[in-house]
Amino acid sequence: MGQTASHDLRAGGLTATEHRLANGLRVLLSEDHLTPVAAVCLWYDVGSRNEAAGRTGLAHLFEHLMFQGSAQVHGNGHFELVQGAGGSLNGTTSFERTNYFETMPAHQLELALWLEADRMGSLLAALDEESLQNQRDVVKNERRQRYDNVPYGTAFERLVALAYPPGHPYHHTPIGSMADLDAATLEDARTFFRANYAPNNAVLSVVGDIDPDQTLTWVEKYFGSIPAGTGKIAPRDGTLSGNIGTEIREEIREEVPARALMAAYRLPPDGTRECDAADLALTMLGSGMSSRLYNRLVRRDRTAISADFGMLRLVGAPSLGFLDVKAASGAEFAEIRGAVDAELASLGADGPSAEEMERAQARLEREWLDRLGTVAGRADELCRYAVLFGDPLLAFTAIGRILDITSTEVQDVAAARLRPDNRAALEYKPVTNSNGGTGQGQAQQEEAGQ
Amino acid sequence: MSDALVTMVLHPLPAAGEAKPWEFPVPEHGALANGFRVQRCHRPGQQVVAVEIALDAALDAEPEGLDGIATIMVHALEEGCGPYSAEEFAAELERCGATIGSRVDYIGARISMEVPASRLARALGLLAEALRAPRFAASEVERLVRNRLDEIPHELASPPRRAAKQLAAELFPASSRMSRPREGTEDTVARIDAAGVRAFYDAHLRPGTATAVVVGDLAGVELDRMLADTIGEWTRPVAPPSSTPSTTAEDTGRVVIVDRPGAVQTQLLVGRTGPDRRDPVWPALVVGTYCLGGTLTSRLDRVLREEKGYTYGVRAFAQVLRSPAAAADGAAGTSLLAISGAVDTASTAPALADMQKVLRTLAAEGLTDAERDLAVQNLVLVAPLRYETAAAVAGTLADQVEQHLPDNYQAQLYKRLAATSTTAATEAAVAAFPADGLVTVLVGDAAQIRGPVEALGMGGVSVVTS
Repeated sequence: MGQTASHDLRAGGLTATEHRLANGLRVLLSEDHLTPVAAVCLWYDVGSRNEAAGRTGLAHLFEHLMFQGSAQVHGNGHFELVQGAGGSLNGTTSFERTNYFETMPAHQLELALWLEADRMGSLLAALDEESLQNQRDVVKNERRQRYDNVPYGTAFERLVALAYPPGHPYHHTPIGSMADLDAATLEDARTFFRANYAPNNAVLSVVGDIDPDQTLTWVEKYFGSIPAGTGKIAPRDGTLSGNIGTEIREEIREEVPARALMAAYRLPPDGTRECDAADLALTMLGSGMSSRLYNRLVRRDRTAISADFGMLRLVGAPSLGFLDVKAASGAEFAEIRGAVDAELASLGADGPSAEEMERAQARLEREWLDRLGTVAGRADELCRYAVLFGDPLLAFTAIGRILDITSTEVQDVAAARLRPDNRAALEYKPVTNSNGGTGQGQAQQEEAGQ
Repeated sequence: MSDALVTMVLHPLPAAGEAKPWEFPVPEHGALANGFRVQRCHRPGQQVVAVEIALDAALDAEPEGLDGIATIMVHALEEGCGPYSAEEFAAELERCGATIGSRVDYIGARISMEVPASRLARALGLLAEALRAPRFAASEVERLVRNRLDEIPHELASPPRRAAKQLAAELFPASSRMSRPREGTEDTVARIDAAGVRAFYDAHLRPGTATAVVVGDLAGVELDRMLADTIGEWTRPVAPPSSTPSTTAEDTGRVVIVDRPGAVQTQLLVGRTGPDRRDPVWPALVVGTYCLGGTLTSRLDRVLREEKGYTYGVRAFAQVLRSPAAAADGAAGTSLLAISGAVDTASTAPALADMQKVLRTLAAEGLTDAERDLAVQNLVLVAPLRYETAAAVAGTLADQVEQHLPDNYQAQLYKRLAATSTTAATEAAVAAFPADGLVTVLVGDAAQIRGPVEALGMGGVSVVTS
């Protein structure tokens, strides 16, 4: 491959090679012949953070349009061809990226590459008003099904909006607002494609039962003639200094089945030791049935029926920790809040025990084994580290980094970050809908000085 | 198309390479001295080992008035056993990087564990303690009961779960366990206590009617000794396997609206009952159901999603509910055949009208060969991908055991799917989803949807308000 630069990567028993086409497309290949399947994953370096004001949801709506045909693929041809070949496929949109993936029987790999190249190079030949109108309606129903018609369904959107200030590129979530979805035009979609869907703004990974030389030949053949893009607009800077600074608390009165406390904490950005330390802190506080919050709230105080603390890793802005406590009947917020604060403060003051470190590291190691245990999972992680950090090899060394974190680092990040003045909280209180109203809640914002 | 829209060199659609042979694995059988049957399967490279324990304790075994006790019992196994308190047991599992899930349905009780191969011995030891020496402490059972009571309102608030509860109540007679919520109601759960849980455990859990399925990279794993030293130590008196009552269902076409004032969407669940996997029609039913609603290019979504935009997606499926041993009483198996999805409130009646039209067109004109081919190719060729992980293989092997299917059932199913004709798939789909013989449950805003739905003439329309 005359125009292809490449080098070998190897870590943790897993290997990959990295190549770059002349048009800027980065290509990652990793062989695994245990099962006759091959995963194709394509990450575009564009997400909801790239959206302009008044056009929230455009990146995700556009992702739907990518399945509506291209120059050589009719309407639903992408789905029909992949599924007819025995493959599975989808796409997802997040704050910082949009990904598309096909997992194929190994002998159908070339088809997936052809399909991805066809839409990268010729989507606009097929994109029309009819597709846009239809997929706008589909996405609005996706929003209703996943958020608006679900108890507590808008909590994530509300917390994100509280954790990042208005105007911040991460202030809104990828699903977008109904009004902005209605406002999106065909010209918006075309402009979005031209700016972001180019080989030099993408990383392609192919993992599984593949012949790397043959695969690279196909990649060059199908993607090589697509010109590099020039119109990319960098996302606005999402850097925020440290903590939220003051405790934010909103009472939400909605038709929900029970009281719930949900909160977001700003955490260090992904790619830092502090972020891995925060992941461990959240795991020992709120993952599984031996965590501090589970033992305290669910087992001992019996004020909650569930207590989970999860993390959204972000690179271009502070990561977020999400606390989700569903109250037991009769429990009061003050009691739950007090117990949560005490457990978080205790981790910051005294640090974790050796046993807690062992358990949390074992849990995160297991999660990584699951993720890297399928060809699709490995393909996605290679793309992630290539797009967000410029180094795909980091995917194969992630477990080592988690195991390298010390209890002092966990204590430090807990003390610095898991504090009331770095928290935006929602307190859900059930109301009964007696008059057939809209079911929409009324938010009352109050700022609690701390 | 203009040059500005196509900026690349276009190549023709590539042909497929040569398919590599793949077969669903056949398990290796064994048995422990205590009667525990074992199936194992070595899957190279699968570092996370999956263990499935199938127990003869289905929901039909629950005592009258104590619906939910089977589920509380399997959860309580983890809440203190042998030398471990509830907190200690959870902590020890975490140390192994192990996860455990358990559930009970109309076929049996299942405990599913996944653990890295390097810690399999330790995790099996914990699992064995839970099975043979549960403490069932009164305070832990009481906590599980209170938790369960608090979970019920969350389930009822979930549109898909509320719809499933209503459909079960509509399809099956009140005397049948299948008509009632799997994990019980407020009334029945409130009656459950530690003594009852222990009595249920004593009556139904025993190694002689249990099977363990172990799948993963077992190279260098001394599995026989590990199993003998752990679950092989569980001793209980021998008892005959349970029997399963026969099933009747009422699937006269009708509509039931579960009222949700103000709901922005209507949850649809449209279904009836069908056969289990041992029925010769099963492969044709799988192909026909896929053509109707297996994916977004199937008949239903082609109209409801991709043409009309009424929904994020609707799916048709066949799910086995009961598959009793070929017993003397001739009890037949039962599956749920259903179409499910959510549509925006204003589109409720138009979506149902389109669904009816799709079903009537299918009955009148049948499937095309192209549709059948696409479905069969997907269902057959997707197998190596579907069974990439140890957990997926273990799950299907345990299903085969519980549903009294032969070891080679799944492997043979792929051959039978490939041999299914367009005519057979059409007949199976039409018989499974007759436009006039389906019970339609709608969870939505009755004030807005009732009138338009009544006008469709889909049978009687009733409204449930709780």
